[in-house]
Amino acid sequence: MDMLLTVIVVIAVALIFDFTNGFHDTANAMATSVATGALKPRVAVTISAVLNLVGAFISTEVAKTISNGIINEGPGGVSITPTMIFAGLVGAVLWNLATWYLGLPSSSTHALFGGLIGAAIIGAGFDAVNFSAVLTKVVVPALLSPVVAGVVALLATYAAYRITRNARSHGAEAGFRHGQTVSASLVSLAHGTNDAQKTMGVITLTLIAAGYQGADTGPQLWVIASCGLAIALGTYLGGWRIMRTVGKRITDVKSPQGFAAETSAAATILISSHLGFALSTTQVTSGAVVGSGLGKKLASVHWGVVGRIATAWVITLPAAALVGGVAAWGASTSIVGLIAVAVVAVACGVGFFVLARRHPVTRENVNEVDQKSDDEARSQRVGAVSGTTGED
Amino acid sequence: MIALSNAHTIVRNAADAGQGQFLGVDWGSFVVVFLVALVATVLIVVFYSTGLRLLAVGSPADGSDERGVTTAAVQDVRVGPRPLGATVGAMLCFAVSIAAVLYGLWLLIPQFH
Repeated sequence: MDMLLTVIVVIAVALIFDFTNGFHDTANAMATSVATGALKPRVAVTISAVLNLVGAFISTEVAKTISNGIINEGPGGVSITPTMIFAGLVGAVLWNLATWYLGLPSSSTHALFGGLIGAAIIGAGFDAVNFSAVLTKVVVPALLSPVVAGVVALLATYAAYRITRNARSHGAEAGFRHGQTVSASLVSLAHGTNDAQKTMGVITLTLIAAGYQGADTGPQLWVIASCGLAIALGTYLGGWRIMRTVGKRITDVKSPQGFAAETSAAATILISSHLGFALSTTQVTSGAVVGSGLGKKLASVHWGVVGRIATAWVITLPAAALVGGVAAWGASTSIVGLIAVAVVAVACGVGFFVLARRHPVTRENVNEVDQKSDDEARSQRVGAVSGTTGED
Repeated sequence: MIALSNAHTIVRNAADAGQGQFLGVDWGSFVVVFLVALVATVLIVVFYSTGLRLLAVGSPADGSDERGVTTAAVQDVRVGPRPLGATVGAMLCFAVSIAAVLYGLWLLIPQFH
């Protein structure tokens, strides 16, 4: 009975994580399209949601291990219990909501890894974590992804402006908007094939660990469908706070830049995963937007914003690990502890939504960046950041 | 496309040899990913932009860059007819871009390979 209840709670939290993942990552594909007016905000999120759903169905080959080698799983290592998975997911969800509130694009995958690492350390000690794999699979790609995409987007932006006489060739503006829509759609589809799969893997491996499903079997249809729908719903509702940051606040993206940035992002993501050197989608897109700002003459890149995003990337793993660790500590005592952690986590999540309502960003005002309120928001954000790290 | 499959072989060979390892990262394959992404993106953007530029041959330049406002009545007036060569060239450029998108889809959808 306890096991069944635990599994049900894990699946619920996994689907919530999937939802926040879609919610968070709409910005990767669609922020620049919304910023340049290539797509109306509602159309953009609809396209992205549908492609995420399609992506979830076309790619259902889930990972063999939950942590992809970051935690020493299996024979000779620790066995990841459903409770640890639950705690890891709680850490990831809360960190995703925190960064959404602050309007910062950050990697959902890193948040999930962070949460799992924290839960594994509490559950099985520091030996449970393969720190060299953390370096190889998280830290180094996080440093390289934005640089690669940034350099590529810089050259692409320069070429786009150069060839079209600063986009003054007749129809070039509109042409770039169409091109941008296509490459942004590819990014969305790539996201669906990658990220919905992660939650499917978590749920399937939980079901296997709990004995409800045979080992070495693929995800069941209801798992595929619910993961696809959760990520699509999250994408449709849209993390407008993050979209404003990526589309308007890093640099004011214009259509040639948007085209160059999305094409760089799509190409970099596809090529890197095809050649087996996976780079983070979020970090590739953010890097590409910075590159597109640098590649255009007289465009300004707001380094303060870039710096805050970079800080969030550095903090993501330890912060999610801390929350995951605390959650694992509370949840591993008993089923009552697990329920209590779930209730506290829901309360925190609702808290972020209530806080966000004080300065709502919606599809109506996503492209409005008022400098004054921006400065105010900045000082508030600084306060909020130190507040969250303090609590953690 | 051929370049990419060659690159794939290079990456695999580099991985087999275990060369260029530092911080546990296979820098050889990283450099390949970087170069392939760079070349592919720049080629696509250059072709697509050239296509747009060729389509605009014979038309006046849009008033100001990036205003995003098109006053159709004024700007649809062609200064001269677009030469056939420009049209054909533009179509070829767009064809390359479309091929790149299709190849991207092929890479993305596992059922194709």
